[in-house]
Amino acid sequence: MQHRVGHLSEIPDREALIVDVNRRSIGVFNVDGRLYAVRNVCPHKQAPLCRGTVEGTMLPSKPGELEYGYEDRVLKCPWHGWEFDLETGECLFGVSGRRAKTYPVEVRDDQVYVEA
Amino acid sequence: MTITVEVTSKVAAPSRTKIIDSDVHPWINGDIKGLMPYLSTAWQRRFEGSKSTLPDHPLRPPLAGATSIRRDTKPPGGGAGGSDPEFMLEDHLDRYDIEYAVLSSIQAGKLATLPNTDEAITLARAFNDYFMNEWLTVDSRYRLAMCVAAHDPLAAAEEIRRIGNEEGVVAVFIPLLNTLMGNRHYYPIYRAAEEHGLPVLIHPTGTEGGFQTSVAFAGGIPSTYIERHTVFPEIAMASITSMVFEGVFVRFPGLKVVAAEFGYSWVPHMLWRMDQNWREFRREVPWIEREPSSYVLDHVRFTSQPAEEPEKDEYLLQILEMVHADRTMVFSTDYPHWDTDSPKSTFRRVPEQMRWRIFYDNAAELYGLATPARV
Repeated sequence: MQHRVGHLSEIPDREALIVDVNRRSIGVFNVDGRLYAVRNVCPHKQAPLCRGTVEGTMLPSKPGELEYGYEDRVLKCPWHGWEFDLETGECLFGVSGRRAKTYPVEVRDDQVYVEA
Repeated sequence: MTITVEVTSKVAAPSRTKIIDSDVHPWINGDIKGLMPYLSTAWQRRFEGSKSTLPDHPLRPPLAGATSIRRDTKPPGGGAGGSDPEFMLEDHLDRYDIEYAVLSSIQAGKLATLPNTDEAITLARAFNDYFMNEWLTVDSRYRLAMCVAAHDPLAAAEEIRRIGNEEGVVAVFIPLLNTLMGNRHYYPIYRAAEEHGLPVLIHPTGTEGGFQTSVAFAGGIPSTYIERHTVFPEIAMASITSMVFEGVFVRFPGLKVVAAEFGYSWVPHMLWRMDQNWREFRREVPWIEREPSSYVLDHVRFTSQPAEEPEKDEYLLQILEMVHADRTMVFSTDYPHWDTDSPKSTFRRVPEQMRWRIFYDNAAELYGLATPARV
């Protein structure tokens, strides 16, 4: 079921608008016009995941080499730094099988709806 | 905006447990600049300019801002996470219904980097006055692990005698120098702590392996944060072993030690290896008249955070049994640091009796905070 969570302009740049939907805390992100909704609970230790940062990360590489990528696609937990793919909620690069819960988001007439 | 932290685990919530949090870290904005009101004019002059900043280890956590402090703990009024005692009450103690929080300053831990003894003594005293004035007066749930500069153990003992009887002071934090804790260098500190019924507390200072005066890691210098964080336990392992065999607990039978944030899955190995070696080499340390492990169980306490994450959940319970957690473990969160354990998601499968011991009774006995509700 779709829930209207606010006007597009209410979502700060790169910081989550945190809303309660059916008593579930959900963070809605606007990253350069791409919208994401993520459950505000880290599957590791129940941290408020959506108060983390939207970043890129270091891609798997050879020893001694650094390659930065996935810019703006990674949600990094404010506690233990676990990194999740904003698109899928998966923990990046197989460090854990646990995943962040994500929800479909839709914008109609600048109103933001989350399917939850 | 409201934040609702929910517990997703399917396990039924355990019955309500009272909580003492044995590892909470207050922060002073501006480092020594924030301590200026607690320093004499001469010492204020001494710490001018860039000398007012305590040094950081160059290997920083690969987290947002390369800081150990959780970004979600930033007080709304500004300043670093952990710097506002009122906000910490709301954000941590009230939220989790924590009865007491034992404060230790990791900024004070950086005293271990100072090559100058008088500077270290002076700052230790200023840190203590700051926390007594700015934190303990805010709420009686705050209790302080006062800090001492191990550079001069006689001055450290004097500092314990100055404030060790204050009601809010419950432990003595020793930022370790590169000398094992069994060394008699530390004995004046142990004597004073024992006299005042205060446990001594050790905690990674975050300076290990980064400064000549700080604790050196075994074998060499780690080159990444992930390495240095992984090997913190060796510091506690080496110092506890040293204390036992040097006979510290024979010399100071009332002394208690808190090993905060060093983990504990290594403890069974240490206990067994000590006992095994004692059966073989007792004559080298003839003052050790009973199994060395028994001194550890009687005198040393380990904090629960970071709760270890073994391959199988049942291993955790087995490890807790092996370390006699019903006697030796005290719950801690490490708020506001990145490797926080939440009271709501920690040790949920631990049997209730052991939970009570870990979350409250062991700490209440250790710090003399209250008569344990259930024994």
